[in-house]
Amino acid sequence: MMGMANRTSRRFRLNRRDLTGIYLTAAVLTLAILAQATLLTRIRLGGASPNLLLVIVVCWSLLRGQTDGVLWGFAGGLGLDLVSGLPLGASALALMVTCPLTVLGKDSVFPGSLTLPALLVLLATPIFGWGVLLTKTMLGLPVEWLASTRYVIGPEIALNLALTPVIYPALRWLALHVRAGQAGW
Amino acid sequence: MTAGRPFLITFSGIGRQITNVVSTARDLATLRARNNQLQTVVDTLTIDNLRLKEIEAENERLRSLLRFAQLNPNYDFRGGQVIARVISKNPSNYLASITLDLGAEHGIKPGMPVVTERGLVGRIYKVGPLSSTVLLITDPSSGVPALIQRNRLVGVVNGRAGSAPVMDYIPQDAEITVGDLIITSGLGGEFPKNLVIGQVVEVRQRDYEMFQQATVRPTVNFDRLEFVQVITNFRPLPNQPDEPDSVG
Repeated sequence: MMGMANRTSRRFRLNRRDLTGIYLTAAVLTLAILAQATLLTRIRLGGASPNLLLVIVVCWSLLRGQTDGVLWGFAGGLGLDLVSGLPLGASALALMVTCPLTVLGKDSVFPGSLTLPALLVLLATPIFGWGVLLTKTMLGLPVEWLASTRYVIGPEIALNLALTPVIYPALRWLALHVRAGQAGW
Repeated sequence: MTAGRPFLITFSGIGRQITNVVSTARDLATLRARNNQLQTVVDTLTIDNLRLKEIEAENERLRSLLRFAQLNPNYDFRGGQVIARVISKNPSNYLASITLDLGAEHGIKPGMPVVTERGLVGRIYKVGPLSSTVLLITDPSSGVPALIQRNRLVGVVNGRAGSAPVMDYIPQDAEITVGDLIITSGLGGEFPKNLVIGQVVEVRQRDYEMFQQATVRPTVNFDRLEFVQVITNFRPLPNQPDEPDSVG
């Protein structure tokens, strides 16, 4: 009887952690999309604004693993596509593609260091950009690869790198202090 | 009586002093309360003043839009009855767009041109029940049939990624100079005629190319858009390219 009660209690704890994870995902992504659509667009360098969602997805993948990152990328990307007017799925696909990059930081011995997230953001920004452009090309929309790389992706790398020292410690704190369940297939 | 006079004077003085001290203490308490009241009034007035200044600025912007509507009586402008508020700008770096606070429930439809008193902004691209997305003329997927106002030469103003739009397809022998005004030509039926697009800031002519190109500085400042007008009585001709719905 006691064992059964313990098992039920354990299952209940697991469910609560899962729910916390869902609430956390929804809250962080909603805030990120709102900030992206309203506040961050005021910061312009060349033809680009910082991509908060990309930085968040890359940092979260590094902190909580690829599966969590892919889920955040998918949900956040769909939200961004709905708000921005991009073809539905374009940002989601491109964000999900950046998550496997975190394999590079899997065995990092310096989890608190900012070098690794900065390096990953540096690599992820052009991959995300080219991913979106590739999707647009496949949908028959006119795309300027060279100009987009020079005037949009280039400045975006600099802006995203500037955002990383703020976002990574905040997400690291969240990952350590909020007892959210980790996603698994 | 005479002997008591100095005492009376002294005590009377002391009494006056005590009264003064008490009254000062009482005044101090009153003054503090009064000061708090006045501080509250100042705060309220400051907030009111800021709000009034904001309303005055908004009023001025709306008046400008109204003047534009009066100068262009051929078009029916709608947005919150007349004007739409911009609620989001360029959320993605890969699509130059803005979001308006009006949608299908307010009569907004895809393809409707969007303008300000300064000129053409773009066209309605996606429509939701309560909001809509405008594709700006600066986006690479936007092409606006245009003409040079001075000599009526036609071309197409195409958006460029991260830089100013360019007027393409200008014949090699055409005369075009910096400062020329570019307006919509109405060709293709996607935009109404005679809406201001911008001014030529640079001309690029190469002998081996079929056409000249002119870089255009839009008259609209896309970074400072707050209100726009949607031309609701203009119907774009059919067979305009549809918006891509989703990936896959």
